Amino acid sequence: MAPHHLLLSVVADSIRSYGEFPVVGARGAVWIAAQVHLMFAAFVLGVPMFAVVAEAIGIFAKDAKYDGLAKEFTRLLLVAYSATAIWGAILVFLLSTLYTRFWAYLTTVFGPSMWLYAGLFFFESFTLYLYYYGWGRWKYGRAKIVHWTLGILLNVWGTIVMLIANSWLTYMMTPPRDISSTTDPATIKLWHAISNATWMPINIHRLIANVVFGGAIAAAYASYRFLAAKTDEERAYYDWMGYVGNFIAMSALIVLPFAGYWLGREIYQYDQSMGITMMGGFMSWLWVIQAFLIAVLFLAGNYYLWIGMGRIPGAERFRPYIKYLLIVLVLGAMVWGTPHTMIADSKELAAMGGSHHPLLGALGVMSAKNTAVNLMILATFLSFLMYRRGNKEFTVPWAATGTKIQGAMFVVAAAIVLFYGIRGYFVEAIVRIGFSVYQVGAVLACILCVTVIDTMMARGARSVGEIQWGKMPARSQYALFILAVTFTWLMGLMGFARSGIRQYWHVWQVMEDTSKYAATPALGYASRMISLCVLIFLSLVAFVFWLGGLAEKSTFVASGKEGQNVGH
Amino acid sequence: MWATNLKVIGVVLGTLFVYTLICNKIPQMQSEVPQKITLGANATPDQIAAAGEKVFNGVGGCTACHGLGTRAPNLLTDEKGTGQIGVRCAKREPGKTCKQYLFESLDQPTAYVVSGYQPIMPRITKLVPADQAWALVAYLESQGGTIDVTGADLQAAAAAPAASGAAAGFAGGSTDPKALIKEAGCRNCHMLDGEGQTIAPDLTHVGSRRDAAAIRKKIVDPGSDVTKGFESFAGVMPKTFGTDMNAAQLDALAQFLAGHK
Repeated sequence: MAPHHLLLSVVADSIRSYGEFPVVGARGAVWIAAQVHLMFAAFVLGVPMFAVVAEAIGIFAKDAKYDGLAKEFTRLLLVAYSATAIWGAILVFLLSTLYTRFWAYLTTVFGPSMWLYAGLFFFESFTLYLYYYGWGRWKYGRAKIVHWTLGILLNVWGTIVMLIANSWLTYMMTPPRDISSTTDPATIKLWHAISNATWMPINIHRLIANVVFGGAIAAAYASYRFLAAKTDEERAYYDWMGYVGNFIAMSALIVLPFAGYWLGREIYQYDQSMGITMMGGFMSWLWVIQAFLIAVLFLAGNYYLWIGMGRIPGAERFRPYIKYLLIVLVLGAMVWGTPHTMIADSKELAAMGGSHHPLLGALGVMSAKNTAVNLMILATFLSFLMYRRGNKEFTVPWAATGTKIQGAMFVVAAAIVLFYGIRGYFVEAIVRIGFSVYQVGAVLACILCVTVIDTMMARGARSVGEIQWGKMPARSQYALFILAVTFTWLMGLMGFARSGIRQYWHVWQVMEDTSKYAATPALGYASRMISLCVLIFLSLVAFVFWLGGLAEKSTFVASGKEGQNVGH
Repeated sequence: MWATNLKVIGVVLGTLFVYTLICNKIPQMQSEVPQKITLGANATPDQIAAAGEKVFNGVGGCTACHGLGTRAPNLLTDEKGTGQIGVRCAKREPGKTCKQYLFESLDQPTAYVVSGYQPIMPRITKLVPADQAWALVAYLESQGGTIDVTGADLQAAAAAPAASGAAAGFAGGSTDPKALIKEAGCRNCHMLDGEGQTIAPDLTHVGSRRDAAAIRKKIVDPGSDVTKGFESFAGVMPKTFGTDMNAAQLDALAQFLAGHK
């Protein structure tokens, strides 16, 4: 036995492996610290991405409104960074005192990467300070470009920090196959541990999810400022900011399932029993809840767009179509939420009269669900397209033909989705899985081609009237709150799924959890923990935003006022 | 302003309450930690079957597929007119008793894939100790059949895990290519010498397309390249053969296939 391993064994034998924490227990304490830390981390990684994009639009389109938006986004980050670090420190202290043996193992494998992580966090924090506090100083010409580069650098540091932390948690899920319970952790090569099977899928999934999350929280912030606004000008600005935040969140959300599919596929390929536990085992109900939550997101997101059309002159011509979109979304949500692979005992099977519910069984299969979700995405895109066209009258001579082509694309995409959805019932599972690629491909191709045509048709379009930002009923802003709460809750739920599939292993089939909390809890308990974490996070975020408001007045800039001061 | 604040708090708390309520109203299932079986040599068949039932519904994860009708054959209920598993197990493989067939199916599931289903079952003897696998066999036998697993079987398995198929290695450590092909279930997807399925490329003349090194690489890392015409099935072939088989077995299999010109 290597001396290092011997030392670890001695440490493990001489000190307790697990500690105890009052009221919520050791697992509960680590759960809360990890989840709240992750929520803040997702926010501080997501927001800089679109802050830097907004600043670029401000620079190159010479629109001060976007520059102000970028600054306002960044202001939200300042205190959020401190909260992220505080919760990170709490997590480390809890792990090192409550899960001593596991923490010793993890630091033995990943020690050097943890030093790098701390160093990068230092760089990231100071880049943020430079980026925010330098906003007024580096405002013109080349200095503005340098300032924008600082924003890019902030994203680079943040992304590397995320990649490092992801390697620790993905190692716990999918340690390389040549590592077993008898492997001396000191002999495991760092890069070998980092580049495990789910590292890159999680990296991509989290990168996109952070944008979704950051957009949703920023939109909720804007909606609160909208409701609290005292002037029409301020209300108009925060209405616009809320729209931009929601647009970013919903756009990135459409791509997220593909990253999730890749992650799920890697989990299956790494260990089928883990994949089956995730999708069809004791977690099977979780996916029904996930479908319900995503249905809420689709409905709330569309509802916000439909109400938003009320402030767009000319958009009333599209109002009659909304009811049909609502029908598609509601039916789609019902099909998507239909249970299928539920664990049933022999009595329940007998009560159902077979292995499936006689009525709902046919809707619970992937063919029906994939069809439903793809049609929901198409309906949402159509809502957005109507919103976008609201106050435009196309003047290009081929506008009518272009619109017909767009309509045909929608019909063809929907037909392909339906065709493969129905055909999926008549082929074997292995063939059916491949059909989802055609369905998704048809929807993405439709979105891409219709957007290109729409952009070309919009050239030189006549405006029926300016969007009347700020003329939104209050209920639209509550829809943004529901979106933010749902995104945050969904993040907690999927975190439970990812972590829970390890079941009673700290490191899958390498290090067993022998504590009294080793059993993976049922969804009821998990939901209470998730709600508690969301409540803590949102309360702290509200406090952070309030602090931000104390420190500085709102940065909203009326459109065009300072346009000449931004950019070259 | 206070009214707005209260409305916002109401919306947030109301949303959280609804989600939490729904999750607490659905069936609650907790994933348990596997427990050791503490049955003696005199354990009755019913006691062993009861222990097996816990494995079936718990750590074995069997209910995730069996009983749903699409992923795997029904075990507790009738399967296409052949009865429950305890009724049909002795008729599945000529020359094998029900007990032998069931244990081998748990230890080498790809060797006996039922027609119409995919080779997706994980190796149960890797998930649970051998004595629990034997208890599982007893439970399956109890579904319409006669339990002939004894307490002595459990004790022997617990005391000498190396004697089980799992510890002896893939295909019992054999380097016979035909035994490896059977155990790996290659013909569940590939055609070879006129036998098998056509989901994956035909291996009858694989030696004319790839040399032994390329075949070995493809077995160890199936995603390294994809044969033209089979792109939609990319990722289906298990990646575990490289770790399940030892070097001598991989070489024997690669050489055998490379000889199929």
